Amino acid sequence: MKRFTNKETCCGLLAAVILALADGVVHAEEGNPIMSEDDYIGDVPKVLTVSRLSQAAADVPSAVTVIDRETIRASGIIDLPEIFRLVPGMYVGANAGYVYNTNHTVSYHGMTTAYAGSMQVMINGRSVYSPLFGGVNWSELPIAIVDIERIEVTRGPNAASYGANSYFGVINIITQSPLVTPNNSVIATRGSGRNEVFYRHAGKQDALNYRFTAGYRQDDGLDNRNDFKRTRFINTQADYRLGVNDALELEFGIADGARGEGNLANDPFVFLPRTKQINNHYQLIRWRHHISDTSDFTLQAFHSYDKSDDETTSVNLRPILGPLGPFIVKDNVYINNTVVQERADIEAQQTFAVGKQIRAVWGGSVRQDSVYAPHYLDSGKTDYFNLQRIFGHVEWRAHEMLTVNAGAMVEHNDFTGTDISPRVSLNFKPHPNHTFRIGSSSALRTPNYVEEKFRDRLVIPTKLANPNTLIFQYRGNQGNLDPERIISREIGYLGKIGRFELDARLFSDQIDDVIRDSDIADFKVPAKSLLLNPFLDADVTGDVNRGGARIEGLEFQAKWQISRQTNLLVNHSYVHIRQTTDGLKRDFPDSAPRNTFSSLLTHRFNRQWDASLAYYQVSKANLLGDGDEIDLIRKSDLRIARKFESGRWNGEVNMVIENLFNNHYEEFAEYNTFKRRGRVNVRLDF
Amino acid sequence: MHCWLKKIAILALGVILSCPALSHAYTGVTIILSAPSQAYLEFVDHFKDELILTKNTALRVKVIDMQETERPVVAENSELVIALGVKALEAASKLKFTTPVLGVYTPLPSFNSLLAVSGRDLGNFSAIVLDQPYARQMLLIKTLLPDAKNVGVMLGKTSSQYNELIRDAGEKKVINISIETINQESELIPKLQKLLDDNDAIMAIPDPMVYSRETAQPILLTTYRHQKPVFGYSQSYVRAGALAAVYSKTRQLAKQAAEIAVRTQAAPGLLPPPQTPKYFSLSINYQVARSLNVIVADEEKLYKKLLEAEATQNE
Repeated sequence: MKRFTNKETCCGLLAAVILALADGVVHAEEGNPIMSEDDYIGDVPKVLTVSRLSQAAADVPSAVTVIDRETIRASGIIDLPEIFRLVPGMYVGANAGYVYNTNHTVSYHGMTTAYAGSMQVMINGRSVYSPLFGGVNWSELPIAIVDIERIEVTRGPNAASYGANSYFGVINIITQSPLVTPNNSVIATRGSGRNEVFYRHAGKQDALNYRFTAGYRQDDGLDNRNDFKRTRFINTQADYRLGVNDALELEFGIADGARGEGNLANDPFVFLPRTKQINNHYQLIRWRHHISDTSDFTLQAFHSYDKSDDETTSVNLRPILGPLGPFIVKDNVYINNTVVQERADIEAQQTFAVGKQIRAVWGGSVRQDSVYAPHYLDSGKTDYFNLQRIFGHVEWRAHEMLTVNAGAMVEHNDFTGTDISPRVSLNFKPHPNHTFRIGSSSALRTPNYVEEKFRDRLVIPTKLANPNTLIFQYRGNQGNLDPERIISREIGYLGKIGRFELDARLFSDQIDDVIRDSDIADFKVPAKSLLLNPFLDADVTGDVNRGGARIEGLEFQAKWQISRQTNLLVNHSYVHIRQTTDGLKRDFPDSAPRNTFSSLLTHRFNRQWDASLAYYQVSKANLLGDGDEIDLIRKSDLRIARKFESGRWNGEVNMVIENLFNNHYEEFAEYNTFKRRGRVNVRLDF
Repeated sequence: MHCWLKKIAILALGVILSCPALSHAYTGVTIILSAPSQAYLEFVDHFKDELILTKNTALRVKVIDMQETERPVVAENSELVIALGVKALEAASKLKFTTPVLGVYTPLPSFNSLLAVSGRDLGNFSAIVLDQPYARQMLLIKTLLPDAKNVGVMLGKTSSQYNELIRDAGEKKVINISIETINQESELIPKLQKLLDDNDAIMAIPDPMVYSRETAQPILLTTYRHQKPVFGYSQSYVRAGALAAVYSKTRQLAKQAAEIAVRTQAAPGLLPPPQTPKYFSLSINYQVARSLNVIVADEEKLYKKLLEAEATQNE
């Protein structure tokens, strides 16, 4: 008969007890309360609920690139959108645009304008793309790079999960939870016309965990442009545990600042170099309710407000107007280019699991965007855009080696009516470390305000009876556009061999009903007005659906952990665009660089020192809208960092040199030339 | 290693030899509950069932609920006292020193405290502690994650005393254990992140500062973000998001307690030394396993494997 206590446990425990006695250690006396059995077997609130658990990478229906905090740190970036250079297939153009704003443009697989609006961009599930032009005012977001925990980029349409605008892909920026933020942090950066300082604080009050970040960013911009930016902001995030099954998340943020706009080289007449003011704020509340072990419910509501306070006064127009010059009332024209955008959105979502094989999510949302843009919309009234959608997605683990994903979104909006975007994919997993994925999805891109409703013009009153006004019409949209359609097909591979990971994707996307600029031949001129466009050899532009394109290529991301201290990340994409239906703009097929390459090598020398080297190469491209034909770009960045630790304090000092070899290169347009720049960064946590 | 084994041998001998009069043979069992919780009431039922099953109906069972009486009244010369929970054990420790007391549902550090404070001797004061043996936990890790070589452990003020034991258990199982100890809650996340950078999984050792209702969320979220699993110490922690845990059900603890009660009665003498649970169950969070791409073949098979492995290690 076996002894009922085995030797090991007997001696081990006895030893533990006697050691404690021998040391005279009695923890109860130290002021620590005696542990009760409740500490061992008591209820623990469920943390990794069904909705928090993401699909394993091997089961995900699309190509997803996750950029973690460590990679962001190693890259040495100072502007958030720069990180997307490390995502295969993405194009990042710094300082794009000069008319409405000057911000980075980020796009995937081409057709890039200064105002790229083909991607859904969210911060913690809150859409931050502008209803006006569909893109993102990156420098105006009240977020500091140190706030970011990770960024998930879905490469490929993902409307079924993320709805409107998830045309080419989705970017979801997830910020650091207050629970893991250090108590206090100060970060400062200086160099090459950049000065930034941030203060972060995290605290806890009973069931409330919160953190806030306050920052000031100063960017002097390029030498030959009026593109400076000053931004100050505060953002707050709080988690409040209501009970075992309920949690509330709250987020607020506010930002304001001044921006330099205008570019004499492109427009020396009307939108002259000037300073405008921006301010924005947002509020978000999210309720997570744990229904059961296999079901969760989330309700989210947010509101955001964005104002661009901008006025411009043209040059003296008399000399330009020739014979009409003497007849105008005033020398110049004043334009109120203020834009106010607001968004309100409510979304409900339920995630649930059925047995061990099925996980599903379904939900719906209602959104209202409003735009007040007296110059662009040629109206003193605020315009409203309403959108409603329902979506659903199922993951079915049919077999240990096969996962099927299927989903769809039905959306109705004021511009284009009702449409459906479905998606399906199959993941074959012959081995736990290797997955082959084949999928097809379709999505629609709803036209933005620029394409649907821009009717901006210059109005010059005259002293005459007829014509009593001279009009220069920039755009004359009538609306009624159809959405652009994309059908994306892909074959993907995700694999791991020892310390080497590979994510590869072969894709073929068909885009139809492409929305593009076109001349409006039959523009109706208001009575008693004279249209100046013909005299200045300028067309009245509008948007139409015309043309189709096929975007095909191969892209991959490889991660190689060369050793415990050294990591290498390599991205490459080959993108080829060709016209399939007549009518595309001439420069469309060249709007994506044929080859984009990026790499990041990081090495940790010892506990204090680490360094990273990045290399980027973008082949030539002819960027659309406010962009130009740009040559091959080669750029190397170097970052050297030293950590230090002293009791409660710890921190880091680092130096970044961008464009190490000082290859002067143009990016996005000829008006952007980048030289070597450097900065020093200091962080202190306490 | 050798010197503390010697230390134990001497001390153990000392304990045994210096023990006062042997405990009286008892005719009944009094079970004291810290509170009339479902688990404790079930324990009583299972305990009685176990006695019947093993044909030990001579032992009569009485139940005292601490929530109803300030001081339990026990026939100190003829009863074996089984205390469920720390509160009950504390009250029981104040009874006559010759009354044998067996604590169940007691954390090991708490048992140590009460042993020292009460001045009792090990012969009459023992427990089936809640702590599962480290070897068993590590066996679970090795079986579920055969490729895991490095496991991180976070200790606090209370659990730091087990540093050596944990390392030893790891060595025996050929697992590389990294230990980080925290002195205040603010160190928790930074040190956890350090552990996560270098280890394949985290093994949770109970400690009020490290693992509590409040810390569960930051710990589980942080480890999940690193795509690494946490091996918990309770079914509750697994439901919260740990990958798996070995734990003992009420029925199993009752069985072990009944065995001790019967055995000690038959041979008048000392209670066996404090011991870890003998019978255990497995709890696995399949949703988390799936999300971390951990293949869990068959819970039955896995459980059998663990039992076999423990059996071989005991021989």
